[in-house]
Amino acid sequence: MRVRSKWKLVRILFTTIWLYGGWLLYTGSFEAISLSLGAIASLFVAIITYDLFIAEYEAARKGLLVRIHYGILYLLYLLAQMYLSSFAVLINILRGNINPRVVHFRTRLHSDLARVLLATSITLTPGTIALELQEDHLIVHWLDAKTLHSKYAGILIKGKMETLLSRVLL
Amino acid sequence: MIEGLVYIFLFLAAVFNLMGLVGILLFPDPYTRLQASSTCSTTAVISVFIAVMIEAGFSAITGKVLVITLFFFVSSPVGAHIIARYAWNMGIVPWRKLRKLSSKDFLHD
Repeated sequence: MRVRSKWKLVRILFTTIWLYGGWLLYTGSFEAISLSLGAIASLFVAIITYDLFIAEYEAARKGLLVRIHYGILYLLYLLAQMYLSSFAVLINILRGNINPRVVHFRTRLHSDLARVLLATSITLTPGTIALELQEDHLIVHWLDAKTLHSKYAGILIKGKMETLLSRVLL
Repeated sequence: MIEGLVYIFLFLAAVFNLMGLVGILLFPDPYTRLQASSTCSTTAVISVFIAVMIEAGFSAITGKVLVITLFFFVSSPVGAHIIARYAWNMGIVPWRKLRKLSSKDFLHD
């Protein structure tokens, strides 16, 4: 019981920190009234919603706050990847030459959040849409399929995203 | 220099959006149309956000637009994924390019 209530306090604290950061950014003022109102409001919202942000069974996760420098690197890599594949899709649309197939592959990531982020990044990259994610098994619709071999398709679609994500979230 | 970058990103946004619309008209089935529309217009919207951030410089507005961009990074692919997953669970078969048969296909049989 004691461990559970301690973990609950930690979860409320981390949710409050994230919410307070958002408050500071969006109000943009540092007067005493604004700061204290923000603290009260974010604590109130955190008490209601901490269970949605950090689930109870995720106690084994090491980094509750992500590693910022790898996070920025990941975002930049995702942006570059998005623009590159956008141009590829553009050329496909102009030539009218597409070869859409559905491919299946697996991922090495363990935590739920990392898997969801990987599926989201795959959908965000033009040319691929994640249709289904069950445990570590991904089904992806690929606009211009180079191969149907499961492992090779995984390497081509995921690129460096998987290794970077495993560093961002630990 | 900065003005030029802003114009380049806005031009890219216009091109990606236009090509996404052309793709919706040309492509054969729901999945490929979804690819053209959702993903290309995602890149277009993010190009607009980048142009705004470059134009605003280092200020509070840039931070706000950055947060909006992060929300968009989450919300847009989730919407596309829900449509695609519904189509997949409904059992809509993805369109496939038919290969022309040549004499080589019969050699191994």
